[in-house]
Amino acid sequence: MAASQHYVIIGNGVAGNEAASCLRAQDKDSRITLITAGRLLFYNRYELPRIFHEECDWRDFLVHEPEYYADNHIDVRRNSFVTSVDSAGKTLTLAHKESLAYDQLLVASGGGSYLPEELVESRHLLDHFNTYRAARKVEQSLPPGGRVVMLGGDVLGLDLARNLVWEDYKVTLVAADQTFWPHRPDEETRAKFLKVLEDMGMEIIDGVRPIRVEEGGKGMSARKVVLQDGRELFADVVMPFYGLSPSVDFMLGSGVDIERGLLVNPQLRTTDSSIWAAGDVCQIWSAEENSYRFYYGWKNVKHMGEIAARNMMGEDVEVDTHPDEGLRVNDKGELDSPFWEYD
Amino acid sequence: MNNTDFQIAICGSAGDGTIAAGDVMKRAMARAGFKVIAFDIYPPEIRGFGKCIARIRVTTEQVYSLKHHSDILVSLNDSHAIPHVPEVGRYGAVIYDQSAIAAVAEGEHISGHVQPDHLPYSLPLREISEQTTGSARSRNIVVLGYVAGLYDLPKDAFHDIIQEKFGRKAASIVESNIKAFEAGYALGADTFKLDFIQVGKPADKVNGNQVVMMTGNAAVVRGSLDAGLDAYFGYPITPATSIMEMLATELPKRGGRLLQTEDEIAALAATVGAGYAGARAATATSGPGLALMVEMLGLGVMAEVPSVIFVSQRGGPSTGMPTKTEQSDLHLAVFGGAGDCQRIVMAPTNVEGAYRCAGKAFEMAEKYQTPVIVLLDLYLSNRYETVILPKVNPFEPDSSKGRSASDPNKPYQRFAATDDHISPRAVPGEDGAIHTVTGLEHNELGRPNDQPDNHVRMSDKRHLKLQQALSHPGITIHKRFGDEGPVDVGILGWGSTFGEILEAMFLAREEGIRCSAMKAVMLSPLPVEPIKAFFDDCGAVLVPELNYEGQFANLVMSQIGRPVTRLNRVPGVPMKVSDILDEIRMLAERNRAVAAE
Repeated sequence: MAASQHYVIIGNGVAGNEAASCLRAQDKDSRITLITAGRLLFYNRYELPRIFHEECDWRDFLVHEPEYYADNHIDVRRNSFVTSVDSAGKTLTLAHKESLAYDQLLVASGGGSYLPEELVESRHLLDHFNTYRAARKVEQSLPPGGRVVMLGGDVLGLDLARNLVWEDYKVTLVAADQTFWPHRPDEETRAKFLKVLEDMGMEIIDGVRPIRVEEGGKGMSARKVVLQDGRELFADVVMPFYGLSPSVDFMLGSGVDIERGLLVNPQLRTTDSSIWAAGDVCQIWSAEENSYRFYYGWKNVKHMGEIAARNMMGEDVEVDTHPDEGLRVNDKGELDSPFWEYD
Repeated sequence: MNNTDFQIAICGSAGDGTIAAGDVMKRAMARAGFKVIAFDIYPPEIRGFGKCIARIRVTTEQVYSLKHHSDILVSLNDSHAIPHVPEVGRYGAVIYDQSAIAAVAEGEHISGHVQPDHLPYSLPLREISEQTTGSARSRNIVVLGYVAGLYDLPKDAFHDIIQEKFGRKAASIVESNIKAFEAGYALGADTFKLDFIQVGKPADKVNGNQVVMMTGNAAVVRGSLDAGLDAYFGYPITPATSIMEMLATELPKRGGRLLQTEDEIAALAATVGAGYAGARAATATSGPGLALMVEMLGLGVMAEVPSVIFVSQRGGPSTGMPTKTEQSDLHLAVFGGAGDCQRIVMAPTNVEGAYRCAGKAFEMAEKYQTPVIVLLDLYLSNRYETVILPKVNPFEPDSSKGRSASDPNKPYQRFAATDDHISPRAVPGEDGAIHTVTGLEHNELGRPNDQPDNHVRMSDKRHLKLQQALSHPGITIHKRFGDEGPVDVGILGWGSTFGEILEAMFLAREEGIRCSAMKAVMLSPLPVEPIKAFFDDCGAVLVPELNYEGQFANLVMSQIGRPVTRLNRVPGVPMKVSDILDEIRMLAERNRAVAAE
């Protein structure tokens, strides 16, 4: 193993934290710094639907108690934004003008919600569910039995949608090309899955695009979705789920190759030998498919965090590019996915 | 109703408006009806780059000290604030400017020091200040607005205080500060709050009495004025100077006189002179000044002339640490001077006590014809508390045993032997009251006399008369708190540290430790019997104090003859509640172990 290193990890999700944990487990001496734009420590976003039926606050979602970071000498720089990375100088700059030197850098900054162009102007009327704060806002906006219009319906959104149905909220899914993203089922399978969702209690609208979202108006529901065919859908909350867009802006100019995400080899190394990437932010080379592709879901991302960490410490291991990721209908007749499993 | 109890620490450099922001905060919260206790720490330099910290604890119920942990830390200067990050409690907020003016080296931004159990609030303070006021100077008010918005603090009270504080300058300054506050408030109100600070309603007003917020020094001034102070003589010295500054404004309005003398020797000399002339007179100083005054103090004792000396202690010896607190002038106050020179020494434990001790000091000085020292310290002098002042003036305007009490059939004896050892006192100009006053030992007429029996008699007189001060009406000279009857641990304290002692005792009792705390306000003469009774009840007695030598412990042990456990700290800042609590736990554990054997 190399002499004492400074491992810097950008991102406070599953990949980043798994990497930090693996690094510390095998390297007791090196310095580990984890940088995140968020204000909270690593928490389990998959469990956020609990807020609909439990008295809880953000502390209940923390994966580790604060002492974990102190005990493992992992510095967590929260509310910190990386603005640029200088791969030649092996430094990164934070928005508050502080420079940080690294020996090995892991980018695990995840992705933000992708929003189709026609909805950009309505984004202030849209809600998300990707953070504790966003989830709490949704929970506060939804009266008992309230209605949610879900636009798109990627697998992350569908996970939430089934939870909402289970909690007796009304869900209308306006299906789109990105429904079931990152899966791209054929026409027949897609129709079958939509029927399953309908049987699970969701209202399905397919074949028409939303063109804007408006305030619902006095005495009406809080939001109104206007569809291309002129129909209007009223809801308490409107949420877009059109897949993820990798958060890589700060890496522009760093010298590493970027397509949509950071391009990495199966060892998760970018085109710079000291910069690695894991999670939703990276596209991994698949020799079989002869292309770079994304891998999503808690298990995949966690696996990537481990692989990246091991390689950062000098191993030479490849990420599993054949994960079980198929959508399926389970014994209860409900749509299910390995993406929705976590530990 | 939620009970409010949060503490904010604002940390910056001199010139950042740190103390000003703290001042607005504490005044606004007091205006809104909350209980407030606040203490500022500032550098010895008049202006420059030294560290300033304003700490404010806001509560619904009365509390007795600042908390060891702050719930909110605001950084207006990261290099100064970084060392204070560890004082933020679990899930407390660290609020800071998100952007530095220029590039900062690794580790120099506070975000790198926020601990995992803290909540960071990174704000564009500079940008907001510049956008709303045209300059970055209002960052302090922006952040104040942010805190008010985040925790839903009463906005109107802040507006009122900003108006009052800056209204004497220019309307445009008030306007720009209100704008800065509002911009911060809007941001705070829009911020998703993650911490658990709850702000409830303030307590109901106290019927009839006056609730005010003041410093210990302001309380001394108020008490002195209410007691009818006629004349003040002083020489400036931190942390006592503000007493003179306030009196310079207020005393002439009431027909009194104030003179800044050339030094402390002259200040006490003039005070003793005024006292001799029948005036209620006082001076105020700190340890170095008291060291200069001891010669005149001896004259006051020997000549049995009333005078009041307010002593606000700071770090010593010599000029020491002018802007740091300490309790290391106790020996000097009690014993300083030539010969057997006993005088009355009182040490209030809080701001309200400072008011009462100040007023009662004049009564006692006059009644027992002696110098009276009121021993404060920087922590008490400068800290703000909301206090309840009595509606009716509680001080006697004249407590002198006048010449009319003397035997009309004998020549006037200024130092006559009496049953209570207090002689009828005439002041110069009274018809037929010719007498001699000298620093030499003297007889009843005041004439020099060094005969053995005379010296013994007069020494008795000078000492025994002071014992009556232990039962002086209208003042608490000692008090016990906490568990009654036998306890595992007793904590005996004096002065400003008693607030921390009480906090520690309450926490210890919550842990199931039987304990009591006793404060001694009268330090000379010492209330020996009540303290002995307290010792009788305690498995162990702990004496925490802010000095190196354990000066109060020495005093107690010399007069009570029982062992104590000392807890001495000299950091220049108030004692940590946690240090006292740790010691209580240790003593309780030791008691249990001994009992088990």
